[in-house]
Amino acid sequence: MVRFKHRYLLCELVSDDPRCRLSLDDRVLSVLVRDTVARVHGTFGAAASSIGFAVRYLNAYTGIVLLRCRKEFYQLVWSALPFITYLETKGHRYPCFFNTLHVGGTIRTCQKFLIQYNRRQLLILLQNCTDEGEREAIQKSVTRSCVLEEESGEELSDSGEEATEAME
Amino acid sequence: MPLPATTYERVVYKNPSEHHYMKVYLDFQDHGVEVNVAQFKQLLVSALKDLFGEVGAALPVDVLTFEEKTLSAILRVPSSGMAKLWSSLTLLGSYKGKKCAFRVIQVSPFLLALSGNSRELLLD
Repeated sequence: MVRFKHRYLLCELVSDDPRCRLSLDDRVLSVLVRDTVARVHGTFGAAASSIGFAVRYLNAYTGIVLLRCRKEFYQLVWSALPFITYLETKGHRYPCFFNTLHVGGTIRTCQKFLIQYNRRQLLILLQNCTDEGEREAIQKSVTRSCVLEEESGEELSDSGEEATEAME
Repeated sequence: MPLPATTYERVVYKNPSEHHYMKVYLDFQDHGVEVNVAQFKQLLVSALKDLFGEVGAALPVDVLTFEEKTLSAILRVPSSGMAKLWSSLTLLGSYKGKKCAFRVIQVSPFLLALSGNSRELLLD
């Protein structure tokens, strides 16, 4: 079959400052990644990686980002991600870094991974939780995720975000 | 009585040389431009950096010999980085505002081959 194959990089933006994630914008992020690839891999890297490049999904609350690139050049983008050290918006500079969680061939496989990852993160949050009210909220989302199988996808990501938002 | 079995060992070398050697010279449009060895090396690294970024500039290129009069040099590069070096030499256009071009005379995986070039042979 003749089609363009892509690789989807699922990354997490980790930062000390809570305002950093909220100021995430898909245009800001795509410009940042493009500049970093140009710095690390030169003119060739910038041109090759920006052909099929797009920011497919962005979650400002959890800092999860899904980047798409062509299969032939995804390693250029992947190797340039550790060189991103700060996010600059509206004159503010926030130090941060990108953690690559998963590389998938389709959006569906990345979504499946994200669901399992969020389930594990909920359990970790439950262990580290200090406040009783938050503990009950997390326990409720955990039981909901265990009971339902198929619909837990969208609900889980929402409840995961609410829990993390409540924590911060 | 059966003959003892003979053992033999077969060694196959597939291009054992891990470096490629290039004989190049720098051709300027104007005459009288002086370049010393350090500036030449810096020019090579900046050409790699333009086209291939920080990763390309980290390619271990060595200048084995350099002649200031003719501006010719012999470079050594690992075979995996040969395409990157040659393409960045091709796309280099100018040095300190003056137009120039790299002419590649000979390329070989063996240094000995660069000592005798049949193209420069003068037949009487």
